[in-house]
Amino acid sequence: MPWYLYLAFKQLFPSGRRVTFFTCASTIGVFLGVWMLIIIIGVMSGFGYKYSRMIIDTQGEIQVRGTFIDNQEQLRGIIAKVSGVAATTPSAEGIVMIEYQKRPNYPGIIGVDPESVEKVIPISKYLLQGSMDDLDDDAVILSAGLAYALGARIGSKVTVVSPLTLERLNQDTYMMPTELTVAGIYEFGHQQLDKSIAIVTLRRMQELYGLGDSVHGINVRLAPGADADQVARAINETLPAGSRMFARTWMQSGEAFLFALKIERFMVIIIVAFVIVVVAFLVTSMLLVAVARKTREIGLYGALGATPWQSAMCFCFQGVLVGTLGTFLGVTIGLLTLSNIDPIARLIARVTGNWDLLVEIYQFTKVPAHITAPDIAIICVFAVGMSTLAGLIAAFRAAKLKPVEAMRSE
Amino acid sequence: MSDSVLTARALRKTYRSGNRRLEVFSNVDFHIAAGESVSIRGESGSGKSTLLNLLAALDTADSGTLAWDGCAKTGNAARGRFVGIIFQAFYLIPELNALENILMARRITGRIDPAARARAAELLDRVGLKDRGHHLPSQLSGGERQRVAVARALMNSPRVILADEPTGNLDEKTADSVMDLLLGICAETKTALVLVTHNPLYAKRTAREYFLHEGTLRPVR
Repeated sequence: MPWYLYLAFKQLFPSGRRVTFFTCASTIGVFLGVWMLIIIIGVMSGFGYKYSRMIIDTQGEIQVRGTFIDNQEQLRGIIAKVSGVAATTPSAEGIVMIEYQKRPNYPGIIGVDPESVEKVIPISKYLLQGSMDDLDDDAVILSAGLAYALGARIGSKVTVVSPLTLERLNQDTYMMPTELTVAGIYEFGHQQLDKSIAIVTLRRMQELYGLGDSVHGINVRLAPGADADQVARAINETLPAGSRMFARTWMQSGEAFLFALKIERFMVIIIVAFVIVVVAFLVTSMLLVAVARKTREIGLYGALGATPWQSAMCFCFQGVLVGTLGTFLGVTIGLLTLSNIDPIARLIARVTGNWDLLVEIYQFTKVPAHITAPDIAIICVFAVGMSTLAGLIAAFRAAKLKPVEAMRSE
Repeated sequence: MSDSVLTARALRKTYRSGNRRLEVFSNVDFHIAAGESVSIRGESGSGKSTLLNLLAALDTADSGTLAWDGCAKTGNAARGRFVGIIFQAFYLIPELNALENILMARRITGRIDPAARARAAELLDRVGLKDRGHHLPSQLSGGERQRVAVARALMNSPRVILADEPTGNLDEKTADSVMDLLLGICAETKTALVLVTHNPLYAKRTAREYFLHEGTLRPVR
């Protein structure tokens, strides 16, 4: 090991003595900055990632929408031929009144094709109770919030009234409310989706809304590695001209929210990055104090045969070592914190009493966390780079000292 | 002169003071042979330490030449191997223990191998601090610190030891023991010694004696 690296180690961790104040203060400073960056980037990215997953898992990567799609079988055949498409499923959406034991609710309702839906929208993955196999024309799957609001359980028989009932009344006919059995209860982990949604078969939905064979849209799952924008463009090109149908990607569906998250993430990163810059100033000033305090010692290195560049490296490496150690601790403890962010956030929210507000704003019932290797790499390079720069400033000061003048200094 | 390990010719050194140049000394000739000991005395501010710094190539002269072992190359790395310097204020590195301080001289100029460790331990033993190797400078007395500094100066088996008032910070008894050690080791290892001192008794113990006065280096004996 070069002597300047050895001495840098020894000056940070002296033999037989406690770790120096400089080492502790600088390392803790870098650690706190990196720790905060990891958590903030992890949580902000987590919201974006979770929101993206949620859109994809509930709607597929591409949605083809039109007012009424009459020839859905034919259209699915056309879409399936587009390169990059793995599966398609039709769907229809609306609003109904559901009543159970005189408790009414007005949830959104989605009609899905039980045969193809799982290939595009993996509802089974989110089922808390029940099974997709039990979803038939006389069954309904409720979101956890809706089931809770109605007081319904698996096997409960709920009454469903659709807007078509009112329409029929206007035509002096009466449409009997539909009785459906609860076959499952799901939770996506998103407040809006879990609050008030019911899932029925497409056939039942078409009946409730009087759609005939029409559907409202076709959801598309892509093959791994396929580019959603490209495939959406290709689908739009194949759609019949003048059909008033269009394909849009999941990114376009959640564009506003994802953009808001992106801006918020960027702003917070900038603010926290400044914390690291402040820490770098702290490291610089401490190392400059060390250079001033060790001026005569720097002269000694020269007397023992060291070049000014080598003496400078000793202080530069102290910045590098402090940065590396602080970054390592920050990343390790940051990742540990991220893996337990939900219980920690709940604990804080319990103390401050604003968990419901948090869920209201961000929609997720669990605090999501997602951080990628490139994110971590950027944080590490930034933190170690700033500390190295701090060390370089002190090193430059040390390199300028002439041994004789240094040893004469008081 | 033929066996001179360190030769300086016509050295001149001035310092700038405002618009004026103050001459410390001029036309100084100096040489020392292997194993020889030479002392330089003089009043405070006469330029003794400046001359020593020039001999160690820590400072540059305005004019004149310096040669180590007949060679004019006097860079940093060469200094570490050719010259061992002892200072009045010891200048031990506070974060390193006694043994590590001695090894530091080798670390800067080369690699630490088992032979280097053995030599450092042997020197520590030679200066009478065999059991204090793992003590930090702050745990050593002034005399012990200067002994460590002597051992450090000898670590690379230099041709010349340059000692700048090595007993200046020590009491009389400790100073005597350090001088005995320094003169003894230099004689034993045939290392040349240039001793800057105020003490005429210590100066008398060297083979030759100089006096630096008003910029002129005069031989006393």
